[in-house]
Amino acid sequence: MNGLDYDYMMGLAPILLKYLPLTLEMAAAGMLCALVLASLLAIIRVLRIPVLNGATLLFISFFRGTPLLVQLFLFYYGLPQVLAILTQVNGITATILGLTLHFSAYMAESIRAAIVGIDRSQTEAALSIGMTNAQLMRRIILPQATRVAVPTLMNYFIDMIKSTSLAFTLGVTELMGATQKEASGSFLYFEAFLVVAIIYWVVVETLSLLQRWLEKRLNKAFVR
Amino acid sequence: MNIRTMLAVFTLGATTLLGAPLAQADTLRVGMSGNYFPFTFVKQDKLQGFEVDVMNAIGEQTGDDVEFVTAQFSGLAGMLDTGRIDTIANQITITPERQAKYVFTQPYVYDGAQVVVKKGNDTIHGVEDLKGKTVAVNLGSNYEQLLEALPYADQINIKTYESNVEQDVALGRADAFVMDRVSATQVIKKTPLPLQLAGAPFSHIENALPFRDNDAGHAQRDRVDQALTTLRENGTLAKISEKWFGSDITQP
Repeated sequence: MNGLDYDYMMGLAPILLKYLPLTLEMAAAGMLCALVLASLLAIIRVLRIPVLNGATLLFISFFRGTPLLVQLFLFYYGLPQVLAILTQVNGITATILGLTLHFSAYMAESIRAAIVGIDRSQTEAALSIGMTNAQLMRRIILPQATRVAVPTLMNYFIDMIKSTSLAFTLGVTELMGATQKEASGSFLYFEAFLVVAIIYWVVVETLSLLQRWLEKRLNKAFVR
Repeated sequence: MNIRTMLAVFTLGATTLLGAPLAQADTLRVGMSGNYFPFTFVKQDKLQGFEVDVMNAIGEQTGDDVEFVTAQFSGLAGMLDTGRIDTIANQITITPERQAKYVFTQPYVYDGAQVVVKKGNDTIHGVEDLKGKTVAVNLGSNYEQLLEALPYADQINIKTYESNVEQDVALGRADAFVMDRVSATQVIKKTPLPLQLAGAPFSHIENALPFRDNDAGHAQRDRVDQALTTLRENGTLAKISEKWFGSDITQP
């Protein structure tokens, strides 16, 4: 093998960076929606709400039990053959939807674990002084559960950023799709994929810094 | 009904059937992978290649706005089926299975399937030497079917890839890959990868543009097919081919 073509890599980086915002936007939108959905699912599971609890179990079982790529293909190419109106959904929306459903299944379980991990005696104490269930959740359980859940949720967010690389199968040119196309024009695969790997890595490392800061803040009350 | 009314009705019918769809220019959404040199690829953020030039020339003829949509090759057929694109310009080979599902224009590329090996490989001299070897093909391409149709197919280890078959043969992970002769020659000429052609092409290939098998699809196909005839006759197809391949691959 010859040496790396550094000039090509330096020239490619700014081109690929133009596609980073789309990657981040899809991941951020997916994360926000997934957080809302996962919290709902977790609360249903914790409170064992009849019927909904069963539906939630089925939901989690399916979306955790099948690959994200399969789910994306099902939504984007499969369902529209049954429901023609779904062809109106564009690739970006379908990707965000796929990420939301897939990751909320995982996140629901880690949020549930964070909630049930809080000592039962706190619930009893809160109820004994006359708090309602909603007050108990808002004032006692959720603030503590958030602290426990943040590290795992950040893990899922990182995973989600990288999973947006599947969007090119739905015709969305994001960071990875752009890299593949550029690599095919230059045939400098190693250089192109090295550049994109570094971009992903830097993004994720930046997030890790943010996570450390967030964890420190949430831990304040627990530092003696 | 008198003869004039009949004539009028007939003329109206004929216009609707033949004239109207051809005259109705529109947006033509063309799907392609954008990672198949030199047919469709990107350099400095610019989509280009043989297919891009051909489709733009077709658009100039029909008056259609040509809109390119790039997606991973394995997603393109799904996009066509669900009406997100109107056709695929990605060196699509006409096969009986595809003909059963889509309507094709006339062929605009004539080619053959080619075995390619790592430079210096002196054990594989053609398709007959692939017994017991690992052969890479692109997912969704028809080369997998071509290999499986061989009488000794069960002795070939066929590996399917999303992309980058050239790279894996150059790295020695697969013994050979099968691609059309035209792009294989280009890959060897234009890239630093250590590869060489092994033997002569082993199957005749015709590429054309597929459209959905419904009224709208037929109308688009007819329009584009007519444009292809014009482009062939006025030498534009040959010129585009010369530009990308140094030879005319658009003639049988």
